[in-house]
Amino acid sequence: MTLDERVRPNAPRRWSPVTRYRRSLWLLTTRDLKVRYSTSALGYLWSILDPLVMAGIYWFVFTVVFKRTVGHEPYIVFLLAGLLPWMWFTGAISDATRAFTKEAKLIRSTTIPRTIWVARLVLSKGIEFVASIPVLAVFVIFAGATLHVEALWWLLAIVMQGALIFGIGLLVAPLVVFFRDLERAVKLVLRFLFYASPIIYGLHDLPRSLQFWGAFNPLSGIFSLYRAAFFPEQLDWFAVGVSGGMTLVFLLVGFLVYRGSIRRVLKEI
Amino acid sequence: MAPVEAEGPSAEGGISVRDVGIRFVRNRGARRSFKDLFGGRSRRRLPDQFWPLRNVSFEVAPGEAIGVVGRNGQGKSTLLKLVAQVMLPDEGTVRVDGGVAPLIEITGGFVNDLSVRDNVNLTAGLHGMSSREIAERFDEIIEFAELEKFVDTPYKHLSSGMKVRLAFAVISRLEEPIILVDEVLAVGDAPFKAKCYTRIEELLAGGRTLFFVSHSEKDLLRFCTRGLYLDKGRLVLDAPIREVVARYNSDYGVK
Repeated sequence: MTLDERVRPNAPRRWSPVTRYRRSLWLLTTRDLKVRYSTSALGYLWSILDPLVMAGIYWFVFTVVFKRTVGHEPYIVFLLAGLLPWMWFTGAISDATRAFTKEAKLIRSTTIPRTIWVARLVLSKGIEFVASIPVLAVFVIFAGATLHVEALWWLLAIVMQGALIFGIGLLVAPLVVFFRDLERAVKLVLRFLFYASPIIYGLHDLPRSLQFWGAFNPLSGIFSLYRAAFFPEQLDWFAVGVSGGMTLVFLLVGFLVYRGSIRRVLKEI
Repeated sequence: MAPVEAEGPSAEGGISVRDVGIRFVRNRGARRSFKDLFGGRSRRRLPDQFWPLRNVSFEVAPGEAIGVVGRNGQGKSTLLKLVAQVMLPDEGTVRVDGGVAPLIEITGGFVNDLSVRDNVNLTAGLHGMSSREIAERFDEIIEFAELEKFVDTPYKHLSSGMKVRLAFAVISRLEEPIILVDEVLAVGDAPFKAKCYTRIEELLAGGRTLFFVSHSEKDLLRFCTRGLYLDKGRLVLDAPIREVVARYNSDYGVK
């Protein structure tokens, strides 16, 4: 190889913006997963152990200690169908609070579109969620739940949840740069939201007057889509519609906040 | 010394900076209101702010080698970040034709827990190299960084010298028409420094545009043909590098 060949700028290779976005997103997503699985011996097990232990606790409390009046039989499947997507939601949002602050150095040295720093969390946590579906399948088989054709709604649910997390992430990530306290506030809100969302109960278990307002939690509609696979009566199209609307609102607000603040984020980090 | 002529409007490697200004807030703890964040420019409160750079304009033709001169805190690094587009100006526009290989904060992009191999793939990929190109150049990069025995070592176990070597090796292999160098070379030992300088000269010979920040008069005169002298956030002088260095020395130099 001559010197000239080695140092000549080869102008023709230019990624289109879409390709560049996709490539960078994928690089960072796989990096996240690699870091996660190379630093812990149990790797994959950790991402399912957490929801399993929680499901075990709630199952014990609500079927053995108390007499369960909410949800459906088999309750463990009912629980997991809400808990596994919840883990995606809570994991991605709490990581999104540090999306810009934790990666400051890398963000300051590359020009990739900065929404990727949020999008990669949606994707890597989403992949972990998809990877945890076999666990649910095992419980479905052993607890004897029936899989209905409504399982196809999972695709819609996954798309909606991904969009929702992306919107909230774009809103939270830049704001945390200016208001560091927000990081802790978000954790608190997430804990509240766990009980305020239909996870250990279903939307229809709420008192009638609360059901309407409960639908405005965008997770209600999304979780009802997941649950419909095993409990078709859980499907609530009103809630799904409201979820869709709320998701669009979050995306819009998130994008506006991101666009209005990114200049200052880059100076501040 | 006349700058190299651009090879028509489509040539990559040109930089155009027009009336650029960037504003920072001095007291970081200042109260910030949401109105501040979202309101139009005119409706914002004006906190205690200062402009590290303002009203800066210049054009760079492809293949030019520019040295940026100025005392500490006069906006040199900020200017480089604006050209690298990792910071966005509050006023004016920065237009860069083609990609930039930024040797700025270069060690920051690496992940401690991943191996040298994974880090090379990640950083080169984020800077726009395809996996095939990375595979082709991987050995070259490792050889340049002198890390043949550490390919599968986690990045965190490298010495700081090794880290800089790796970073320089990766970034300087990017096939981008513009290279930015921000005093990173001050870190390495003498033999490696010499190697880096040779590499920069190769890149210059290959027609790259160079943007170079340094306090070393020797390096500036070695690489650059044109100089930009920044003082108090303004572009004071844009002239051949010898004139710029002479002016800087007469203003601040130790006699």
